[in-house]
Amino acid sequence: MKVAKEVIEKKEVWEREELLTGCQAVAHAVRLADVDVIAAYPIRPYTEVMDLLSKLIADGELDAEYLVADSEHSQFEIVKHASSVGARAFAGSSGTGWMYGMEALVVTATDRLPPLFLVGNRALDDPGAFGVEHNDAMAVRDMGWLLLWATTAQEALEHVLIGYRVAEDKRVRMPIALAMDGAFLTHSQHIVKVPTQEAAKKFLPPYDLGERRLHPDNPVSIAPQVNEDWVIELRRQNWEAARRAKGVIKEAYQEFNEVFGPRYQNPWFTEFQTDDAEVVLIGLGTVAMPARTAVRRLREQGKKVGYVNLRWFRPFPSQELRDCLGRFKAVGIIDRDFAHGSPDSGGILCHDIRSCLYPLQKRPNVFNIITGLGGRDVAIDDCIKMYDIGFKAAEGKVGDELVTWIGLRE
Amino acid sequence: MVQTKVDFEKIKNVRETPLEEFYTSGHRTCQGCESALVMRDFAKASGARTIATGATGCMYVANTSYMTTPWIIPWMHTQLGAGGASAVGMAAGLRALMRKGKIPKEKINVINFSGDLGGGDMGLSGISGALQTDLDLLIILYDNESAANTDIQATGLTTYGAQTTFTPPGSKRRIMHRRWKKNVAAMLAVGHPTCRYVATASATFPALDFLNKTRKALAIGGPTFIHTFDPCPKGWDYHPSYSREIGELGIKSGIFPLYEIVDGKISYTYDPRKRGRIPVREYLEKQGRFAHFIDEDFDYIQKRVDEMWDEWSLPGIAPFKGGLELAAAAK
Amino acid sequence: MIKRVEINYRGIFQKNLGKYIGGDIVLIASREGKVAFSNGRYSDAPERNGIPCKYFAFVSPDLSEEELEAECGAKMDIDEADVSVVLDDTMSKGVEPWGWHGIRPINEKVREKGCMLVVTEKGHDDLVKFFAKKPFDYRLATLEGVASLAGLWVFKDDLTRERTLGAIAAVDPGIISIEAVEGYLLDKTKDKKRAQAAREAYDATLRNIKRVTAKEGIDWPHKVPVLPKWHEFEEGGVVVPAVKRGFKMGPRGQNRNEMFKRGTTKTERPVVRFDLCIKCTLCWLDCPDECFDPTDDGLYDIHFEFCTGCHKCAAVCPVPECIVMVDELKFDNEKSPWEDYVKDPAGYVKWAEDKKGKERIYYPPVTGRGKEIREGTTVPAKLAK
Repeated sequence: MKVAKEVIEKKEVWEREELLTGCQAVAHAVRLADVDVIAAYPIRPYTEVMDLLSKLIADGELDAEYLVADSEHSQFEIVKHASSVGARAFAGSSGTGWMYGMEALVVTATDRLPPLFLVGNRALDDPGAFGVEHNDAMAVRDMGWLLLWATTAQEALEHVLIGYRVAEDKRVRMPIALAMDGAFLTHSQHIVKVPTQEAAKKFLPPYDLGERRLHPDNPVSIAPQVNEDWVIELRRQNWEAARRAKGVIKEAYQEFNEVFGPRYQNPWFTEFQTDDAEVVLIGLGTVAMPARTAVRRLREQGKKVGYVNLRWFRPFPSQELRDCLGRFKAVGIIDRDFAHGSPDSGGILCHDIRSCLYPLQKRPNVFNIITGLGGRDVAIDDCIKMYDIGFKAAEGKVGDELVTWIGLRE
Repeated sequence: MVQTKVDFEKIKNVRETPLEEFYTSGHRTCQGCESALVMRDFAKASGARTIATGATGCMYVANTSYMTTPWIIPWMHTQLGAGGASAVGMAAGLRALMRKGKIPKEKINVINFSGDLGGGDMGLSGISGALQTDLDLLIILYDNESAANTDIQATGLTTYGAQTTFTPPGSKRRIMHRRWKKNVAAMLAVGHPTCRYVATASATFPALDFLNKTRKALAIGGPTFIHTFDPCPKGWDYHPSYSREIGELGIKSGIFPLYEIVDGKISYTYDPRKRGRIPVREYLEKQGRFAHFIDEDFDYIQKRVDEMWDEWSLPGIAPFKGGLELAAAAK
Repeated sequence: MIKRVEINYRGIFQKNLGKYIGGDIVLIASREGKVAFSNGRYSDAPERNGIPCKYFAFVSPDLSEEELEAECGAKMDIDEADVSVVLDDTMSKGVEPWGWHGIRPINEKVREKGCMLVVTEKGHDDLVKFFAKKPFDYRLATLEGVASLAGLWVFKDDLTRERTLGAIAAVDPGIISIEAVEGYLLDKTKDKKRAQAAREAYDATLRNIKRVTAKEGIDWPHKVPVLPKWHEFEEGGVVVPAVKRGFKMGPRGQNRNEMFKRGTTKTERPVVRFDLCIKCTLCWLDCPDECFDPTDDGLYDIHFEFCTGCHKCAAVCPVPECIVMVDELKFDNEKSPWEDYVKDPAGYVKWAEDKKGKERIYYPPVTGRGKEIREGTTVPAKLAK
């Protein structure tokens, strides 16, 4: 939940308040987006979004085709092909299920189709474990996907609408994964403001593939076999689209704020008490809660700390993060994921941020925290420990290791 | 025993065959490719108001090498094991859009074609799911008895003993492919009681049979499945001029049963019990992929084929050897 | 110094043959202390029956293996060829291996003073008349023989492999010497016959090398397609327009894929006696390449730019002598045969019989077991008064 009191302008765009889990909030947003085709397959902890969607359909609140697929691979392929004929489509998964359908996820991006997927972040097998870890969603980061993390149910609901708006824009046409921490966001219930159908419709235009829509009136062949004469040009096209997406995202948030009131100042991330901070932590997802609480407590002690809650992971807001993080003496990157054997053994987010800071003349000292894997709690005290490392880093007293594991029994 | 009468525009003789092509010249298939003929035929039978997806395989790669297309109807590539899912996605998408008034209502034929692997191995899961739905769609398994696009490897549909790059005869082991061909069509019919139409066919024998089976499948409603028998000059190693003859021999020897199941009622398009069954040898020895065979191998195949037609309670279709009298006894 | 060899062959039918020859060149050159490697042209695969393909071998007496690889390896196609072997002479008419490649002359890559080496029963002039004019002199050597066609599993061991090696040694001993060829064959197979075949081919080829001057050949009529830049073509998941729907009766009445006609797949083409045709439709019905165009008089024209020469029509036609497959090199255009027939039926029948001659090409079911030339019958013309 946001710390400051919510500024509720434009009361008329909100229909009601409801007690919803993160999953359920997404289901309502899918309803508001008038999705046409939904493909479901069960895997904890994202499944509940599909439970509610089927109930909404059964009760006549949403008119959509609802397919229970035979596997995640089929699930994602159903949604890809529905999207190709011009149907707005939705699916989702978690952990090992997301990986089962990986082939389909890769080609959906290279086919330049824009369905939206909910990823209920879950640890990868083996062994099986249901708790939160970010590696699943991150697996598509190189493939030409839009990828973002929601931290609250409210944010999740709103970003389904923003997500479709951006993904379907003809300057973008990339699939989008909306990630949310398993259990902590997927399952915890909060009071969420649900927009009216009219407001949603005002913001989100219909899905229009134009001449790329597969239909007898529009005979095209999509994805013929190619060879060395073509691939690199195709990659260049996709690369360009990912770059254009940044501009479209900015536009989308402006439009969103016009319809729903000034809800998002900065599309890319939110800053908490960073104005005069010296040590800052940055992370994705619900780790923001204990981190921001730790900030408040340390500020009471006069410590100059802050927290950056990153929202968009792809496209990566490189310049914006340079401008933001370049101000600090030390930046601790929290990875709720692993990257065994990576450069200096750092996590995935650490590498992206460290890399984007490289061009700065004056760089903050960077350190990496790996924590919370497989659903291990990240306590407020854990975050205080992270800031302690940050204070040392700010004084230039950096150890040999980039990475510290926190919250681990050792 | 009378089959459901399906209302469709039947092509009654060769001279009534529609002349227009919806899959046309300019594809990189082998000389004499029967699978290409299957493509031509289903597109012709289905007509302009069709959308097709092709799973990875010969009929994907060979038809569109490179960055080109012989398709006149709208077509999209789909993944090797995604044939069923692609048909479901398209059909569900179109149905939702039409029902919600987002596109005009009309009958659009939704067809997916998958090869051995997409139709009989990797893709089975998705096809099974598709055949359980109530969506109007047709899935065609074009069977050239190998993973042909990857330059000929064994699959679950390869004939026993055949040489492929994964199953070469060697000095210690002559037969490396010891699996017996799966009855995919029958298996799907048995497992999906609400699926109204399952059939096997060949593009050339009898003439027009596959064209009409396609039309019937598209007209009957709901998900449907056709498994075609496609002699393959490249994988089976025979001169392309023999494609038609080898197809006919394969059917007349009983190795590839030709039948149709409409609302659960079986009819044989070619019944070897009535019209004669030629020895499998006449069919097998015309193909280089069996060049390493000795009598023992021909005999083994003959024995199994004899069993298919002489001992199975559903001859050529399902390997049940008795027990059907239980159904009769209850009456 | 680098010697580059390309082996033009018919896909699948000569796949093993091409690979063996390429591999043999490497092994033989290696015996001579040279550095060498070989590879197929990656975009050819997966090969299809009849499609023109290439195999390459690179040899150097002085470069290191890495330098040779850097110059010649990891490329889509060869830069230029010292020797360009052609294992089926019908490829002399041009080759179009895939879409957007264009129909290119068979002698496209042969360099100045390099040598085309064609397995053929024809003479020098019969071939050069199909070649593209080049701005310099090069050579053409002919190795007497028919195209050795087989299949993936049953190889046709007719000594073409050995003879081609001998012929390569004749046209460019800098690649492999005949002594090394003989030594290799003897060591490898212990069969004197093979080494002898190579030597005989070597001797014969030496007598069959002729210069081709810059004046010989034709102005090549086909352009090489210009590939669009990344921002010049439809963005979004690789979308190409479908072939436009269009059909009317008569020659070329069906819209086809103009981007890839692949008529250069043919080794033989069907010659139709329209006068004998009973209009059963089966040729049109069974053609996997949709090259028949139905006409208003119930006959079926053939669009030869698209015909792949698969023989199916000849096999299915129920009327003896009505469709007969004839050596592709006997034809120098892709005109509509039906139009010629309609204009002058008697003249057309005469022309058809002239092309067919007395030879009827017979392939057994398993291609690698041989090709026969049988004698055909001449059916008199059945012309309406």
